[in-house]
Amino acid sequence: MEAIRSLISLLAYFVIPVIVVGFPLYGLIRRVPVYEKFVEGATEGFRVAVRIIPYLVAILFAIGMFRASGAMDFLVAGLDPLLALVGFPGEVLPMAIMRPLTGSGSAGLVVDMINEYGQDSLFVKMAATMFGSTETTFYVIAVYFGAVNIRRTRHAVAVGLTADLAAMLIAVWIVRFLFA
Amino acid sequence: MLNYIWAGLVVTSFVFALGYDLHDLATDAYRNGTPLPVEVVFPEGYDADASEQPVRVLVDGAGYRTFYGTDIEPATTYDGALLSSEAGRQLRLAGAGALPEPLATIRGVSQSGEGELQGTLTGFDAGSVGDGAVPVPAALVFERVRFVRMNAISAAAIDFAETAAEISLGLIGVLALFLGLLKIAEAAGIIYALVRFVRPILRPLFPEVPEDHPALGMIALNLTANVFGLGNAATPFGIRAMEELQTLNPSKETATNPMVMLLAINTASVQLVPPVLLLALMGLQINQLIFAIIITTGLSLVIAVTAAKLYGRLPGVRASDPGHATPAGTTGD
Repeated sequence: MEAIRSLISLLAYFVIPVIVVGFPLYGLIRRVPVYEKFVEGATEGFRVAVRIIPYLVAILFAIGMFRASGAMDFLVAGLDPLLALVGFPGEVLPMAIMRPLTGSGSAGLVVDMINEYGQDSLFVKMAATMFGSTETTFYVIAVYFGAVNIRRTRHAVAVGLTADLAAMLIAVWIVRFLFA
Repeated sequence: MLNYIWAGLVVTSFVFALGYDLHDLATDAYRNGTPLPVEVVFPEGYDADASEQPVRVLVDGAGYRTFYGTDIEPATTYDGALLSSEAGRQLRLAGAGALPEPLATIRGVSQSGEGELQGTLTGFDAGSVGDGAVPVPAALVFERVRFVRMNAISAAAIDFAETAAEISLGLIGVLALFLGLLKIAEAAGIIYALVRFVRPILRPLFPEVPEDHPALGMIALNLTANVFGLGNAATPFGIRAMEELQTLNPSKETATNPMVMLLAINTASVQLVPPVLLLALMGLQINQLIFAIIITTGLSLVIAVTAAKLYGRLPGVRASDPGHATPAGTTGD
């Protein structure tokens, strides 16, 4: 396991250099006007970033309000008995709810939990596994669909949340299995 | 669905904020207008003529808890300043120091500014102070505090709107870099070479995408960057992939099945290298968790892909498919 992990992290060092150096070099060999093409593509950077703004504003302000309102505490209190049935501990429930909503918020929760339960606790391990194995679903939806002006997202949110829910449950079970 | 979730977030925020605030009002959680009994000491002696002088406020823990109905243990003393004017005496508690709830909240919403908690000093008998070394009873009345949560959600809405724009604009540089490199890759034929290479793996996931389409190459780059935990590079690749998929989309406003699939794969986040942020938070502890993370991320990817396929077959979802009315190869109804 350790060997595979070090191999992967070794490879990770080279992915960006290969792209940043390899693409222009190969382009040069193929007689592509590399500088002109680069600038042509890079011009899009600004436009794409600006296009994302309304989508991200819509998502983030709603999530920010939700967090500030204190609704989270109620949600946790309401879901706790339901999830206890499948062996899901209430201590990591805030993390499970927060993770798809905000990246910075859930990172902050990991810190809070380390302070509260200690780094070696099962709860922190579960929360960290959740953090490491899923993405901020709503942010990804806003950025990826925003960049191409897709407004009707169809089943994207349902799929993202299904995967998140599954990941949260699996994280709890696997940490219990490995460490408890 | 996003319409309902989005409106749900906004409306629930309002409802809960209002509920909390009305509860606070009903229980008088901030004891508006009622003086908090304290004792004051003047460490540098009391000067009746000074307009501002240092003062130390002594708080009785048990008294504090009964007064606010909390179980928080306040510190025994707080440093502050006594401001005397013709209008009366104001007591200002020192700036950045930690205050117990609900005083911290009162400080947060009070208009007195500079992040300091200021209260009117009452029941203070200047005649009995003497040299100021002996504690003298007094009481503090703080500014009226109402609708704390209501204030908080308004502030959050504005702050997060700013944050959203900052995040988007912060992406400009990285987006420009990788979109530029991708342009070279397209012109040099790298993307097409990549498409031929990844076609056997990606076609089953994206059957709607023609087999020689550059979208598959962009998706492959996006997945590679994800696997190696390179979020910065993954986003521009993912966006380019979306743009390529958009060229196949007859609607332009509605997501197609391949778009949802790409999103599903990205939200499930296949990472073999844990995110840098988690590494920073957990330190070397992370080594124990790698296995758990890889298993979880792998299984959730399988579930995401399955869900994308299954939900896509639901009648309602199917009907909204922009590619549904005119399947590839036919002329449409």
